[in-house]
Amino acid sequence: MKQRILLSVILCALLSLPLSAMSAEQIIEEMDRVETFRTSSSSGRIITNDRFGEKVSEFIAYSRGTEDSLIEFTSLAERGQKILRTQKNLYLFYPDANELIRLQGAALRQSLLGSDISYEDMTSEHSTLDDYDASLEGTETYEGREVYVVKLKGKTRKVAYPTQVLYIDTETFLVWKGEYSTSSGRLLKEMTVLETMELDDRVIPRRSKIVDVMKSDSYTIMEIDSIETDIPLAGDFFSLDNLTW
Amino acid sequence: MNITHVALRNVSRNIRRSILSGAAIGVSAMAIVLLFAFISGMKLDMKTNLTTYYTGDILIRNQTYKEYERYNPIHLTVDEKEVRQALEGIDGVRLAVARVRFPSTFYINGGMNPAVGVGADFTREADFQDLDLILKAGRFPEKNERAMLIGAVLAENLGLALGDSVTVMSTTAARGTNAITLKIVGLAAFPVGALNTGFFWTDLDTARYFLRMYNGDSHEILLRGEDDADLDTISATISERLSGSDIPYEVKPYYDINELYSFMVIAEYIYYVMAIIFILLGSTVIINTTMMVIFERMREIGTLSALGMKGKELTRLFFTEGLIISAISSFAGVVTGALIVTYLSKVGLNFAEAMQGVDMEVSSMLYPQFSLWTTVFVFFYSVAISSAATFIPSRRASKIEIVDALRYI
Repeated sequence: MKQRILLSVILCALLSLPLSAMSAEQIIEEMDRVETFRTSSSSGRIITNDRFGEKVSEFIAYSRGTEDSLIEFTSLAERGQKILRTQKNLYLFYPDANELIRLQGAALRQSLLGSDISYEDMTSEHSTLDDYDASLEGTETYEGREVYVVKLKGKTRKVAYPTQVLYIDTETFLVWKGEYSTSSGRLLKEMTVLETMELDDRVIPRRSKIVDVMKSDSYTIMEIDSIETDIPLAGDFFSLDNLTW
Repeated sequence: MNITHVALRNVSRNIRRSILSGAAIGVSAMAIVLLFAFISGMKLDMKTNLTTYYTGDILIRNQTYKEYERYNPIHLTVDEKEVRQALEGIDGVRLAVARVRFPSTFYINGGMNPAVGVGADFTREADFQDLDLILKAGRFPEKNERAMLIGAVLAENLGLALGDSVTVMSTTAARGTNAITLKIVGLAAFPVGALNTGFFWTDLDTARYFLRMYNGDSHEILLRGEDDADLDTISATISERLSGSDIPYEVKPYYDINELYSFMVIAEYIYYVMAIIFILLGSTVIINTTMMVIFERMREIGTLSALGMKGKELTRLFFTEGLIISAISSFAGVVTGALIVTYLSKVGLNFAEAMQGVDMEVSSMLYPQFSLWTTVFVFFYSVAISSAATFIPSRRASKIEIVDALRYI
């Protein structure tokens, strides 16, 4: 009888555990799942505000899983320029250049079209736990939503941001805010979601603000106008041959 | 008694000592002639390079360009048409050329190599500068041709040759990025090291297309004035004519733009002061010798005083001796200096190795400039200072008492 009571108590205790009992790894895995689609196509714009004023670059983006993505710029100033990411490689296609430009090393730190986003930001893998160790710092309220505060520490020096602090929605696993720093804790970049949209059963960012702390008087707004998922894409869609086509 | 005659006889009495006394002044005078010739050559060289490759006699650009230069503000342009209209009828303006200037990177074998691009209209440039002087091999890019003329040293450092193609990346006037592949059709040998090691030139319209400068905009308009043109007055007139424009124009003569050139002008005055110190240093030898001579010739001074020669005449005698040595040695110094300058102004001084990596608008081959006015000036300057210096010990001779002097007998 005593054993039955003890078992009941344990079961009750387990069932009544709060949501925060999720481990940091589980939270990050769930965050990655929300951010990743089998295939997708989206259109939007990058609005850069700096000391010289506002600049708008429109784009169409395609992605497959966590590794492949292709961005094609459609606005007049950059029309026809493309960025292809395959696994860890990043290629730039310019209509007036006879060759593809493969960015590597320090060149990846260059700004994308003068915005606060660097090419390096685009190379980060979505399987975050491959590159980072995660630890849960607790929960707090951010803009009226309960969020997990998860700290990520880079496993190697190869990561773009050795330290990240992410504020992840406890219900939707959307990252509302991200602070990206050096290993010594010096803040480099900050991302905040300004507006969200629902897609199938997920909540994803519609408008995000990115601030490169190293650049003064500058911020970038990333807007998504439309997004389609699970679209048919040819097997060689993310190939170099297709890029120059 | 003819003091000049006696002084001349005394100078020639111990010729070795006289030569020694004068040598220091002569070397100083020669060094100053060389120094001024070198500075003058450097100033002229810098002016030529500045006005040919960087600013023209007068530079017209967007007023805010300088302020934001470190941010690579390709979009801060001037309107070439508007400027040409403003230039109409202004006396003293010979011609104007438009250029665009864009920091960029060469994409070669997966690596990024920095280089600065200049877009120029080579038809107009032919009147503005001696293009044959810089063309080492090949030809200049033609209108709208996707081609470049590259600094020979830059090409060599990057392993590039005539006929190769290079993909160039740059920020655009739309504040985005772009890349274009240009074929190397010419190799250039600019007199300025920095231009050889880091610059390439392409057609103006090709550069405008690449940089998304659709309205025929330019970063700078360089003016060439007539030889006797008053650049300050012309600049003021152009500024006034462009004041109603939407673009904030900056119109300045070359000497108001380049800090280093302004420094050279100031430096010239500093060197005049340094010249005084040089001559004074040289004069210490003649002061020393004169003092020694006075002690050596104490008996003679006593005898001359006993025979009725006055103190002032004694001072004049020793002063004249100093003056003669100063004049002869200064003359010898400036003539030697002038001869060296004349030779160096023809063969030049090669600073190619020393100037490597130095970002200055000075040529690696420097030609000192001979100036008759400067040479004459240095001569009188040296004579005046060294003679004045000998006056101090000469006065001592007049204060010697006959009794004291005769004790040396």
